Amino acid sequence: MEGLCCGPGYASPSEAIRAPSEQLLYTIAIYTGTGIQKPDYLATIDVDPKSESYSKVIHRLEMPGIGDELHHMGWNACSSCHGDKSMSRRYLLVPGVRSNNIYVVDTATNPKAPRIHKIIQGTEIKTKTNLSGPHTVHCLGSEIIISFLGDAKGEAPGGYLHLNKDFEILGRWENSMGDIPFSYDFWYQPRHNVMVSSEWAAPNTFMPGFDLEEVGHLKYGRRLHIWDFEKKKPIQTMYLGEDGLIPLEVKFLHNPNSCHGFCGAALSANVIHFWKTKNGSWEWEKIIDIDNEPQPDWPIPIPGVMSALLVSMDDKYLYINNWLHGDMRQYDITDPHNPVLTGQVWMGGLLGKAPIVNGVKIAGGPQMYQLSLDGKRMYVTTSLFSTWDNQFYPEIRTNGGVMLMINCDVKNGGMKINEDFVVNFGNEPNGPSRCHESRYPGGDCTSDIWL
Amino acid sequence: MKKIIIANRNNATYEVKGNKPLLLELRSLGVDLPYGCQYGGCITCAAKLIKGKVDQKSQVALNNRQINDGYVILCVARAKTDCTFDIGVESHDKLYRNPFIDPLAPHELKADIATIRELKDD
Repeated sequence: MEGLCCGPGYASPSEAIRAPSEQLLYTIAIYTGTGIQKPDYLATIDVDPKSESYSKVIHRLEMPGIGDELHHMGWNACSSCHGDKSMSRRYLLVPGVRSNNIYVVDTATNPKAPRIHKIIQGTEIKTKTNLSGPHTVHCLGSEIIISFLGDAKGEAPGGYLHLNKDFEILGRWENSMGDIPFSYDFWYQPRHNVMVSSEWAAPNTFMPGFDLEEVGHLKYGRRLHIWDFEKKKPIQTMYLGEDGLIPLEVKFLHNPNSCHGFCGAALSANVIHFWKTKNGSWEWEKIIDIDNEPQPDWPIPIPGVMSALLVSMDDKYLYINNWLHGDMRQYDITDPHNPVLTGQVWMGGLLGKAPIVNGVKIAGGPQMYQLSLDGKRMYVTTSLFSTWDNQFYPEIRTNGGVMLMINCDVKNGGMKINEDFVVNFGNEPNGPSRCHESRYPGGDCTSDIWL
Repeated sequence: MKKIIIANRNNATYEVKGNKPLLLELRSLGVDLPYGCQYGGCITCAAKLIKGKVDQKSQVALNNRQINDGYVILCVARAKTDCTFDIGVESHDKLYRNPFIDPLAPHELKADIATIRELKDD
């Protein structure tokens, strides 16, 4: 499924767009925090519309123990080592936010039934690097860096774990955290020697659940950080203030020459656009502001909670979610300063716009999503994080999570929920589980970076 | 030895030494309990203490309202006396709340940021 050259991935974003359609996808599903005493697992989902098992979970790789809270994941290799024939996109690194374990999953021996290749024990990571609360995984040529949100005791700001291609701990990646107070997501753009990182909170703050008052007590983030990527240290802070409360996912455009990127500020429900100016410093602006929506049961209007963000491989469309409102949106970002809303669909949420989709009662709202390389199929899941789910959508305990698919119009803009696709994790054999992040074996729109 | 009764498991009764976290002691006796971080930071193992006393001073996950509602973090809490608990998600009725609909008062926040409630003069 990968490109024509020797190594993993593709020579360019335009080559990636022409790759064959995905046949399988992997999504994590959790039992941590649900009351079901079973391990979290990596589900393989058949997304080949010609297959008899289309839209079904066809394999479940259980982790060895309970309580990991699998969340995000990433590949051992991507287009950043496309020229290296000794590398292949074979291993998926799957961290447990609560356990600190990192599972290295072999997806190549049998793509439909991946298996655990190696476990990096959470205790070893704590001992060697004083890190806990793993989140974003990016490969870096043939090496791997993973952001962690806390030190071994769960206090901010955490840092970055550096692994070699054999998944051995090299130590901390960064030379300095500077005065960064919190960590979360990061993305890098090597041609500009830049990395951008965002801020959630300390594990001890966000893991037990969300106390709104802790935002006022500055326990949650409101900044973006620009790094000198080669020197591995932060060089500029962009203070977003009330416009950027809890800035979570951060993405650059896929074009490796571009210096434009975006971040979704979850609590403010704003999209922040940032870019490099001619003098080399970085600027930011708010380009999308989702209004809070009134709801009769709430004393104050409901914020959108824009917990994720994604850019299509052709850099034309930006996708955002509003987890508490229940909508997914598509914006044309041809002019990144002036996004144009081109599509919107509803699934679940607290506003009551789409309580049932494709025959399934939706507990939760659109939360994590992955887009096909050609930009036409977006797979969306509904669970955010076990403790936060339990606060805002308590019915997810009995209903479980759901995966839906949205058909995206890449020419004219527009989104439509595919009526033939629904994976109801409420019907899983061990009871209702909750699905979160997804990756495709051949690459997707959040895996690849070009050097 | 301390007697631990799990009320919502048909009052199943266990004896523990009280020198290790209850999660470890009860799991070694075969009790199937949820857990996550195992250092007192993530709330997954929370149980509700109905009777008795524990030492859970190293927990950092609970806010003061949750503590006042009887929640204890089993992965760090040690039994100081005989105790009776409800365990698992059935005991979590007051653990999770919508933070917008039901905000915390300043004295109900986590210990490091909570204000001390002033006593009213009668």
